Amino acid sequence: MSTPKTTELARHRKERMWMWVQLMPVLAVLSVLFGGALILAVMQSLGFAPWFGVNTFPDLSYFNALWGNWSFWQSLALTLYYAIVSTVIALVMGILLALALIRMFPGKSLYKYLYKLPLMIPYTVGIALAVIMLGNGGMISRISAFVGLIGDPSEFPQILKTHYGWGIIAVYVWKQTPFVTLTIYAVLLGVGRETEEAAAILGANKRQIFFQVTLPQILPGIVSSTLIIFAFNIGAFEAPFILGGGFPDTLPVVAWRYFNDADYTLQLQGMAVVVSIAVIASVILYSYLAFYRRYERRIGRN
Amino acid sequence: MKKLLMGLSVTACLMTNTAIAEDADAAAFRDGFLAGNVTWEDVQARAKTEGTVNLYYWGGSDPINIWMDQIVAPDLAKLGVTLNPVRITGTKDAIDLVLAEMGSGKGLGEGSVDAIWLNGENFATLKRQNALFGAFADKVPNSGNIEWNADDPRALLNLRDFGVETGNAEMPWSGEQYVCAVNTNRLDRANAPSTFAELQSYLEANPGKFTYVKPPHYIGNTFVQAAVYAHNPDGTGAEPFQQSISEVGAEELARLITPGLEYLEALEPHLLGAQSGNARYAEDNGALDGLFLNGEIDIACKFGLYAVATGLSNGTYPEGAEAIVFPEGNMIKNKNYLAIPANAPNPAASLVMTNYMSSVEAQVTKLKFTGMPPGVDPWKLSEADVAALTEASPGLIGVTQADLDANTAPDTNATLVDVIEATWLEYIERDSSDGIDVIVARAVENLAQ
Repeated sequence: MSTPKTTELARHRKERMWMWVQLMPVLAVLSVLFGGALILAVMQSLGFAPWFGVNTFPDLSYFNALWGNWSFWQSLALTLYYAIVSTVIALVMGILLALALIRMFPGKSLYKYLYKLPLMIPYTVGIALAVIMLGNGGMISRISAFVGLIGDPSEFPQILKTHYGWGIIAVYVWKQTPFVTLTIYAVLLGVGRETEEAAAILGANKRQIFFQVTLPQILPGIVSSTLIIFAFNIGAFEAPFILGGGFPDTLPVVAWRYFNDADYTLQLQGMAVVVSIAVIASVILYSYLAFYRRYERRIGRN
Repeated sequence: MKKLLMGLSVTACLMTNTAIAEDADAAAFRDGFLAGNVTWEDVQARAKTEGTVNLYYWGGSDPINIWMDQIVAPDLAKLGVTLNPVRITGTKDAIDLVLAEMGSGKGLGEGSVDAIWLNGENFATLKRQNALFGAFADKVPNSGNIEWNADDPRALLNLRDFGVETGNAEMPWSGEQYVCAVNTNRLDRANAPSTFAELQSYLEANPGKFTYVKPPHYIGNTFVQAAVYAHNPDGTGAEPFQQSISEVGAEELARLITPGLEYLEALEPHLLGAQSGNARYAEDNGALDGLFLNGEIDIACKFGLYAVATGLSNGTYPEGAEAIVFPEGNMIKNKNYLAIPANAPNPAASLVMTNYMSSVEAQVTKLKFTGMPPGVDPWKLSEADVAALTEASPGLIGVTQADLDANTAPDTNATLVDVIEATWLEYIERDSSDGIDVIVARAVENLAQ
């Protein structure tokens, strides 16, 4: 009588074990490499670096010095500006592209490969392309100078290295639009077109179909893709470093400047910047996610 | 909780490992060599058993990399040593590695850096952290090519590195001078500025046609130093800047640098890009060359005695580029060196390598391949050797050696460089409303921590 139950339990236990075996590698990497580094970073930002002969742990002076300085808030505003504007532009373009791709049009199979090209090209190459094409020493400015539109390349209107960040935004959008498209396109393929057709038959116009039928359906894709690209944009270093407008820099560049200074004790100040970026990014991403969860519950999705 | 425990155990490991282990055999070799009890034959024999030398150097210059691979590596192979050139993007990376390894208890014979190409603040850091091999540079055979006699004023560049006493713990490898070049296709040679006041009037007439590398990059720091020397309120130029910060004192330093920094502040609205809102400083050497080549700026200042000749021959300088004497009397000259860290894994091979690098033969090929001026002192060499060096030199364009020698100034003491750099960042980049004396006092206090 008890035998089947025991085997059931044993099987259950085995499955449990197997699940932990599957979880272990990632858990180990996360807690040792990531968790360890995170804790060390926090401790260093609080004044713990005996290997540099500095140990004033716990000491909030690095954060006080950082947050008490007006330039930190300027840098934060700049970081958020680049991250948010590029995310929004990439999102709008990605949705439009995904909606176009589920329709039929000539050359679609070729286009489906073309739009994915930036995904395979690294960011640095995109940055190099921006420098080569858009910079004051770039192709467009040199050609304009060569044909006599402007006196010399430095008169070309400055696109890169300004605080408007056109270059940075261009690189992010160029690289991230295909990513958003890919995610949303996959969601769209999954839900099919039946609900849209049903709405159309029931007399909804295009606007109503998009906002009341399509948008709620692709919302999970929108949220997951924007989470990923926003998290990248807020912490990315190379594009604002190469294409940015100098002081005030974005926060990752500020951190790099501290780390790169010949005075190695400034690394603790740099750690305070890194920890600040992590805190700010997590607060924003967590609130975004919480807000979305609440919306999902409200419309009855779980 | 688990994460916290792990973090604590990591920290505990880091803290307990402060005692430094040393390879006993290597330590005995070091002590014997520095005491003069080891013959050069023994050093060479040991170098062959060690087999490899890991040289860390800034790898951003193709001519240097090619010279290392095509000349240095085969020559060292003949001596039984394999060169492992580790090309880094910033010298500081190697310093960090040495300090991190020493921090984790790796001593002589156990680290991973055998030699570093460096000078200035990076050497000062190693010295301050007690991370140098010892006074080797005057004990290798080719040290006869270098002036060590402190009574000879010309020995200053070998004995002091940015005002910090080298203690013979680094081998002079190259000499450099801060030279500005003008693009004569855009700027008439007769109008080329030779003082800071002339530079400002040139920029008032031609806004935006100049910028310098942004401090804390050393090329930018050096421009700021030259401006500070030229505006020294006592008119004594570089002289007071040879002492350390504890000798000068914050108040006196603030008084000395105020006119120079005020000049740079007044210059900022005339720099590249300032007309459209934000003055743009070049991020590094490469960025500066790009601006100059592209005609965005007419005057470019950097370290490079032969930079114009090499730049013209490899196309990184615009046609018509010529060196000028600027600023008169304050063209900063220094040397750069090869240092052996305290935890070098292959100390004997490293000695053989530094000895080779200070040979006339290596200096001649280096000059020919890379245009890096010799680090050996010509008056210590035979006539034939001097002739070989002269022949290998890419040559000066626009200035003569006599011009350069007549306008030489020494570098600033490394402890002052940190303060001046911090003051520039605060006063000019961040437009601080505090007075220079307040900023300097704060910087001195921060750095003393």
